[in-house]
Amino acid sequence: MYTLKKSNQDRIIKMVKLILLLILVIIFFAPLVSMLITSIKTRGELYIYPPVFFPEEAQWENYKKAWTMINYPKYLGNSIILALFYTIPCIMGSALAGYGFARFNVKSKRILFPVMLSTMMIPYMVTVIPLYLMLMKTGLVDKMFFWILWGIPGTPFLIFLFKQYFSTIPLSFEESARLDGAGRFQIFFKIMFPLVQTAVVIAAIFAFQWVWSDFLLPVLLLRGEKVNLAVRLATGYSDLKDNVLYNIGMAGILYYTLPIVILFFTLQKKFIAGLTAGGLKG
Amino acid sequence: MPVTRNNVLERKKTVSFFIFIAPWIFGFILFQLIPIMWGLYTSFTNRMAFTANLKFVGLANYIKHLTDVEILYSFGTTILYSVLHTSIAILMGFCLALMLEKKIWGRGIFRTLLYFPYMLPLIAVGWIFKIFLERDTGYLNIFLTKLGFISENIAWLSEFPLLSILSLSFWQAGWSMVIFLGGLSTIPESLYEAATIDGAGFLRKLRNIIIPLVSPFILFQFITSIVYSMQAFIQPYILNPRPIRGGALMKTIPPKETFFVMAKGYFYIITQFRFASGIALLWILFIIIMVVTFVFLKMGAFFVYSESDDR
Repeated sequence: MYTLKKSNQDRIIKMVKLILLLILVIIFFAPLVSMLITSIKTRGELYIYPPVFFPEEAQWENYKKAWTMINYPKYLGNSIILALFYTIPCIMGSALAGYGFARFNVKSKRILFPVMLSTMMIPYMVTVIPLYLMLMKTGLVDKMFFWILWGIPGTPFLIFLFKQYFSTIPLSFEESARLDGAGRFQIFFKIMFPLVQTAVVIAAIFAFQWVWSDFLLPVLLLRGEKVNLAVRLATGYSDLKDNVLYNIGMAGILYYTLPIVILFFTLQKKFIAGLTAGGLKG
Repeated sequence: MPVTRNNVLERKKTVSFFIFIAPWIFGFILFQLIPIMWGLYTSFTNRMAFTANLKFVGLANYIKHLTDVEILYSFGTTILYSVLHTSIAILMGFCLALMLEKKIWGRGIFRTLLYFPYMLPLIAVGWIFKIFLERDTGYLNIFLTKLGFISENIAWLSEFPLLSILSLSFWQAGWSMVIFLGGLSTIPESLYEAATIDGAGFLRKLRNIIIPLVSPFILFQFITSIVYSMQAFIQPYILNPRPIRGGALMKTIPPKETFFVMAKGYFYIITQFRFASGIALLWILFIIIMVVTFVFLKMGAFFVYSESDDR
């Protein structure tokens, strides 16, 4: 009798949880749905009062206009170039430093590790704006290759992540390789790096997401047709009278978020599991 | 020191260590240390875009900011926003993590869907919320009217500018959910079982097991969230209720309730070319962030549970 009551109560709690979660998902996705609907409205339907929920006829050509109105392929290309320039060195740099912090328990590590972590607290603008003003003097602005340099050091969060992952690998893996005469770097690239695939996936998603969304650095360091999508789309689409065209803008925003959506949903299993499996504890 | 085998080994290890972290050190010096120091120096001068005679003005820029009522108000709203953002993110993230930790139907899907909005670029999120919150055509008002909650459209962006920006915080709770899921996964199942046998209900477990054991994650989340939200600068510009003409996004001043310090600093430096004054403003915020972080880390040492007692 008691157990029956107990399991009934459990079931009710589970149902309440599920309903709550469903409501939350609906609330979370309402803005996205409204974005999709807005993107297929006509210009008139944007300003009509009382507002219409669905457009009378879906305006799919908004998606074509979003592509042609601002030379979208050009900015998309820029964003992809910046993403590649940044993401790959960033993963490598973070992994190298993470390995260094995980495996060499020397005196300088015990000083530098807290320093490295505390750089997370430095506001982005405090470093980037002076950097921009300094680069302007040296004429180094408007160069996309700068993103490679910007990626090489990695980021504190990803260094920490890699350190956590490397720490979980038994030392014996390396020792046996060392006995076989492998050098430090050989061990790192041939044995250790392939063993932290999950961390690489997480780092790739974070680094890509970061560089894809970044507005400040490109708006400062790039000019005209060289800017990325974040900068171009921040000002949105407007007609000749400078009215902002929300419908076409939303179509443009949809293209912009698509790579992240695809990347995230194809890799999400590894990503969420890797982040939540206590990989960040320490 | 005599040359022993141990010393040689230690030195070799140190050299290898520095080779591995060399990329980070390179970036730290070039992209952080030097710009920060140069910025600090500049904030003590009268530098503008084209300053003919560069002068050292000491703390003048700082004093000017700290005696300016508008700037102080801006600091107030920034801190208010930061505290509210952090509370929302932590509370939402914690509740979501509690609901999604145990086996439940569709757990993986819910985790993914609730985390997903956090991945979207801020520029995209800003625009999406702008049309969502718009008074006459925004879907929030349409939904609320259909559900019968409101009879007249509300101008969210102009009447509740701070609240509008805070609505983004709900969306970004996915990140703290993931952090707390990681935290909850470190609690051994046996502790729950023991508590159940002792007759502890959910609230007892929450107070005596979950919160103490997750407290390091709460502290981590608290500090990173405060630091992150104090730096908000693009949100006020995009969710600006004032009409934005094409291309003039960063040149249209947001209402004073949401003209956060970073947004102001950006405006001073990039739009008005007041370099020294703008950097001084950023530095005041930087100092506040450092003090807040330091105080909470110290306070955290008392409240946060830790396995080892050797602190």
